[in-house]
Amino acid sequence: MLRLLLALAAGAPLVARACEPPAGFSMRADSERYAVFFRADPRVISVGNYFSVEAVACAKAGGTAPEGLKVDAQMPAHRHGMNSRATVERAAPGRFLARGLMFHMPGTWQIVFDVQRAGETERATRDLAIK
Amino acid sequence: MSQMSRWIAAAMVLAAVAPAAADEAVRFDENETAMILRHGPWPQPPVRDPSNRVSGNPAAIALGRALFFERRLSPGGVVSCAHCHAASRSWTDARAQAAGIGELVRNTPSLWNVGRNRWFGWDGGSDSLWSFAIRPILHPAEMGADAGHVALSLRADRQLACLYEGAFGLPGNRSPANDERVLVNAAKALAAYVETFVSGRTPFDDFRDALERGDAASAARYPLEAQRGLKIFAGRGNCAMCHFGPNFSNGEFHDTGIPFFVKGGVDPGRHAGIQRLGADRFNLLGNYNDDRSGDSATKTRHVDAQHRNFGEFKTPSLRNVELSAPYMHNGRFATLREVVLHYSEIRADRLHSDGEALLKPLKLSPREADDLVAFLRSLTDPQAEQTALALSGIPNRCAGSTSR
Repeated sequence: MLRLLLALAAGAPLVARACEPPAGFSMRADSERYAVFFRADPRVISVGNYFSVEAVACAKAGGTAPEGLKVDAQMPAHRHGMNSRATVERAAPGRFLARGLMFHMPGTWQIVFDVQRAGETERATRDLAIK
Repeated sequence: MSQMSRWIAAAMVLAAVAPAAADEAVRFDENETAMILRHGPWPQPPVRDPSNRVSGNPAAIALGRALFFERRLSPGGVVSCAHCHAASRSWTDARAQAAGIGELVRNTPSLWNVGRNRWFGWDGGSDSLWSFAIRPILHPAEMGADAGHVALSLRADRQLACLYEGAFGLPGNRSPANDERVLVNAAKALAAYVETFVSGRTPFDDFRDALERGDAASAARYPLEAQRGLKIFAGRGNCAMCHFGPNFSNGEFHDTGIPFFVKGGVDPGRHAGIQRLGADRFNLLGNYNDDRSGDSATKTRHVDAQHRNFGEFKTPSLRNVELSAPYMHNGRFATLREVVLHYSEIRADRLHSDGEALLKPLKLSPREADDLVAFLRSLTDPQAEQTALALSGIPNRCAGSTSR
């Protein structure tokens, strides 16, 4: 985990001028003004196993990176969320590490990113099929 | 074999196992097939608990076995663990609600494959098997002991003391701190023993593996009624959403519409379990967790108490479920058929208003209910009784002690 944090910290001087996916971040969620590129650790999310999410959030129009990020998930079809609460730490401007996520059922989960900047929050979501 | 090739092989077999009579043919779609394959293989690799340094340790297992049947762990020598978790009764007691020194309000869960759980107890109030073992020892209505009594029992009996020393070394002089450490070590030995309660293969496992390897002849030996029940289980019944994976449990908590009123109040289930977990000095965030990486405590660190947890109870494993009647957290149903009929006619008004929208009345026909029961019975290990009796055999005599 320490190596991961060091890698994140060393990854970029992150003032998000360009909103491009960083190398290795294969998934993306969008809100109106922000894009969130993310990847899971372990890479394959499986039912019943805890995982972390590394996320890079940036403003589509360029400019200063978001200050904060909250990460959650839900199963809209079942009307429930996770049984765990993720904690998020900011590794660098625009870069975040969320720990403690776990999907306890197979099916379609929606991962939710609440992007925070200047006292405002925008929600970006992405559906994930978990088998 | 890749997942795709396994599915293709399974699909070919599923077409082949369909019997001649068209009205009885069982055909599984791609999603059902994938779900069936996720319920194996079985057995899984042995469990080793990183929070318990003696998990898998033969000396600790021997001590745990001796303690499991030791009535003197309860003051007055009244009950042992085996009093409720009887080997001859599939590690349960055949009662609707358990009784130790006093009466309890929940059903005694079977201990088959319990080492694979994430949370322990119907409310998940324990986050490790060893801390779960402490709970009945100290509970005033179960064994009613305290750390001092347990430590005294272990020091006073030559065999137990010898077995303890073999697993942990000398227990140290009497003091509150040493006595508590002896209690925790005793619980870790009990956990090491109970982790060996692994059930064997079942007719379902043979069918599932036949599908995976494309063996139509073997798959066709699985009774047709069980196949039909499996189709309901993995398909429209949504049973496999919670009874998921090789142990037929996702290890989490759900409101299944069973009334939670008990004598004198309500049983809050998971809601209270999370509170108890947080207050438990023996939880994985405490000093007795042997896992220095901290990974084993991730679940405890991140567990989220929510309003909907009220009245939720843990999804039990279904392996050997036929042998562990009565059923549900309060032993409400005497037979598997009653359980199936509960889900067939489940009342939405009994479910938590802000709970999950997963359960709906299945409206099963009588034959479909029979089929689902046949499937559940196919999860029985034919050798379960012999295995349990072998596991409960006379403990090894301690080989000797350097100090006595």
